[in-house]
Amino acid sequence: MPVKYVLKLYVTGVTPRSQAALKNLKKILTEAYKGVYSLKVIDVVKQPKLAEDDKILATPTLIKILPPPVAKIIGDLSDREKVLLGLDLVAVVGGGLEKINEETNR
Amino acid sequence: MQSKTKKGIVGKLFTGIEGFDEALDGGVPKGRSTLITGGTGTGKTVILNEFLYKGITQFKENGVYVTFEENKKDIIKNVKGFGWNYAALIAQKKLAFVDASALRDVTFESGQNYDLSPLIERVKYALKKVKAKRLVIDSLGGLFSRFQNKDAIRQALYQLTAKLKDLGVTVLMTAEKTGPEQDLSRYGVEEFVADGVIEMELIKGQQQFLRRMFVIKLRGTGFRSGIVEFVITNQGLCVYPKIPIEKLIAKTDFHVRRGFGIKGLDDILSGGIPQGHMVMISGNTGTGKTMFSMHFLRQGMSEGDNGVFVALEEPVEQIKKTALVHGWDFNRDEKEGRISFVAANLIDISNDKLLYQIISAVEGINAKRVIIDSITSLLSATMNREQVRQFLIQLFGYFKAKGITCIMNYLSPENFGAVRGQLLSSIATNEMGLSSITDGIIMLLFVERAQKVKKLLSVLKMRGSQHSKEIFSFEIEKGGIKMGEKYEE
Repeated sequence: MPVKYVLKLYVTGVTPRSQAALKNLKKILTEAYKGVYSLKVIDVVKQPKLAEDDKILATPTLIKILPPPVAKIIGDLSDREKVLLGLDLVAVVGGGLEKINEETNR
Repeated sequence: MQSKTKKGIVGKLFTGIEGFDEALDGGVPKGRSTLITGGTGTGKTVILNEFLYKGITQFKENGVYVTFEENKKDIIKNVKGFGWNYAALIAQKKLAFVDASALRDVTFESGQNYDLSPLIERVKYALKKVKAKRLVIDSLGGLFSRFQNKDAIRQALYQLTAKLKDLGVTVLMTAEKTGPEQDLSRYGVEEFVADGVIEMELIKGQQQFLRRMFVIKLRGTGFRSGIVEFVITNQGLCVYPKIPIEKLIAKTDFHVRRGFGIKGLDDILSGGIPQGHMVMISGNTGTGKTMFSMHFLRQGMSEGDNGVFVALEEPVEQIKKTALVHGWDFNRDEKEGRISFVAANLIDISNDKLLYQIISAVEGINAKRVIIDSITSLLSATMNREQVRQFLIQLFGYFKAKGITCIMNYLSPENFGAVRGQLLSSIATNEMGLSSITDGIIMLLFVERAQKVKKLLSVLKMRGSQHSKEIFSFEIEKGGIKMGEKYEE
């Protein structure tokens, strides 16, 4: 039974950075998660109130609304392991956990 | 970035915080940022809140609160203690929050490639929502602990303060000071984002903490130098600014005399104390210093001169009771605005606070006569001899400029039981180093003669005035002091 993911990606305008974040996110989701997900991209310049409500301070910020707990991942999502950790996808991905352990042992 | 603000002189914005604006010579730099630094519990957050609240309620200048520390809900709750209803101000669109308090959410950083533009967008949104003129940020440390990319934080703060400057918003922000060292540039931005820096501190007194603040810098604008004391009451901050040293010529007039209304004594003084003089009445306990003082104020009131009694020895109620025994209703005089009393906590006396209280009392009823009973009491744990001297110099400078005549009582323990022929031998009036700032000295003393204790008075000094050099006896009776004969052994 696949879990449904609800995600929001906060960006500031269309910049190379926000494009990179979006590209990185899609790549990770495609490779590590086969299920259904919804992704909403929000521009803080156009929607400052949403940024206030979600208490966003930096962009890009990816929020995982569902499944709980709510998690935030800040940055261009170039650090793949951090994204997997934030999305709770570590256990699903073959080899992901070992990889993290390797890093922390270093 | 600064082009728009370079054209004029930096103006001042009146904060509305009691005494704070005077200490800063008119307020904080208008349209600029001022950094409040200090350790935990020094009152930084209180000053921010009062700055916002007074702005909204007294000057119709709406405000934005940017918090990196406590959340909005807790702040609203905290300020209720001061009687400030933030919930109502938010509902009336006079106050807006940018709640950037720390979250319990799980947060990761994936790469260092990010910026803090949402912070700026949120601030802009809040400013627009309430058309704010004032903004506070609490605190820079709270922001810096949040992200790994410190450059992104610095960049955001530069952008934010530049934006606020462009919009003409006046900003107060806080930063923690942890060590005794001057670590102003702890985050490497303070120097650039702040046009003023005020440091607050908490020092240990004998039984309570004393709060002080001082200006480190205030770009383009003047301020009164020196450390000023303040308290936090249930109504907010109360700062006790230093008195400006007026360079006016002292309004001392030797022809105008301020009498005691005691038959005989005024004759000894050629009519009374010259106006604007600071006269010390020195004597041991029980010699009648307070009685002479009461006479002096009573006589003033009968001539239409209001008076202030600074009661540092006895409780005010006790003084009033004593006065009533002699037929003087100080309660009525107080009610009708002829007399004001100033009392102080003697254990941890705050000189700035006392100065402020005395001056407020004097100005409140436009007093012409002041009693300080006694200056000996000023020598407490937090006021050493030199501080008492400086306190009196400041106070007397003010009195002289206003033409106020002042009597200060001095408890001299050494004038009891002088031996025959040496009545004035062991006077220690100069013990406190006050002779240069006293214009006159009246000595009171006891002597034991013929199995009785006699009370004696002598005028030792009265600048610019004739006075009798004799020694006189006096008695304290119901109705007041009664001068006696010249005393001869």
